[in-house]
Amino acid sequence: MAPLIPDSERRGELFSAYLDGQLAPGEVTEVSDLLDGDADAIAEFRSLMGVRRSVRLLPEFEVPPHLLPDGHLGDRLSAYLDGELVTLEHRRVTRHLVDCSDCRGGLQELDRARIAVRSLPGVDVTTTGEMSAVPAVRHRKRFIAGGIGAAAATALLVGLALGNSDQPAFSLDDLGSRHVARASAEPGFAVLPPSMEVALP
Amino acid sequence: MTDDFTPTWEDVAQRYGRKIYNFAYRLTGNPDDAADLVQEVLLRVRKGLDSYQPGSFEGWLWRITRNAFLDGVRRKKRRPESALPDGDHHTLGSSPSPDEVLASVRLSDDVQSSLLKLPYEYREAVVLCDVVGLTYDEIAEATDVPVGTVRSRIHRGRKQLRDLLTWPL
Repeated sequence: MAPLIPDSERRGELFSAYLDGQLAPGEVTEVSDLLDGDADAIAEFRSLMGVRRSVRLLPEFEVPPHLLPDGHLGDRLSAYLDGELVTLEHRRVTRHLVDCSDCRGGLQELDRARIAVRSLPGVDVTTTGEMSAVPAVRHRKRFIAGGIGAAAATALLVGLALGNSDQPAFSLDDLGSRHVARASAEPGFAVLPPSMEVALP
Repeated sequence: MTDDFTPTWEDVAQRYGRKIYNFAYRLTGNPDDAADLVQEVLLRVRKGLDSYQPGSFEGWLWRITRNAFLDGVRRKKRRPESALPDGDHHTLGSSPSPDEVLASVRLSDDVQSSLLKLPYEYREAVVLCDVVGLTYDEIAEATDVPVGTVRSRIHRGRKQLRDLLTWPL
């Protein structure tokens, strides 16, 4: 009965796989035996090696820059401010903010806009159907829980905005206490980068 | 990339964009098709990451890339007419001498045009192995065939390339 793969074909496959480091342990010995004193086998091995090398040496192209994102945070900034990023993503964004003044600036602008919107007075509808303004603090109550993370993010931003004297002084202790509060409310939430971890009492 | 880690879309774009582009270029010989494929793959990755289950990320990504490529081929229903010489593109690496550039361009043109003459399955296997740098297991996962088939395709592809190349090896 003829073998499923002709010997010459199998020999070439073994040589190719050997060149790629993809042989099973027993097959390495087989390759060694095939190459032992067989001029045809050696010639085939060399020619396959040459083909492989010529493909691998093809120049590598740069991707046209417009196809790739610019590496900035984009719409993740808002999610970061709102404390909506999961732990891993939050850490990644925090790391990026440490290095990227553009994104820190973007985060500051977003935070100012966010504060301005949240400071707007709420609106109550009276029993007569008229609308009346209520103090902003009532409107903001529902944001408190989710806002702890945002406040922490803002505090971090302030700390990161080096040299910006218009901002209140950044306090790591303050940041830590805010994050501990958030972590207590939401198990699994960890917003601090490892280097800024605060020990729980 | 570890198996239990789900990257962001930006991570994928930055880390794999060049590989995807080069994979597509070597399969098509056409920079416009390669650029289209990168955009299509990144779009699919962005949509797919929400439902991605941590596992073999490379296998997942290259399956998407391959499917996007094949969909593009089916859509266009044409083969690339000609490959631009590699010297026309911005490539990576240091600056070689003019003679080296000339030799390199001639050799890479020869290899590229020979690659395009291979049956698709062989070309794909060779490019995934030698251009992208995947292992046989990863290629098997990306192309949904057994590892033995990958091994056979790579060897047959190389054997045909050997016969097609006019440049001395």
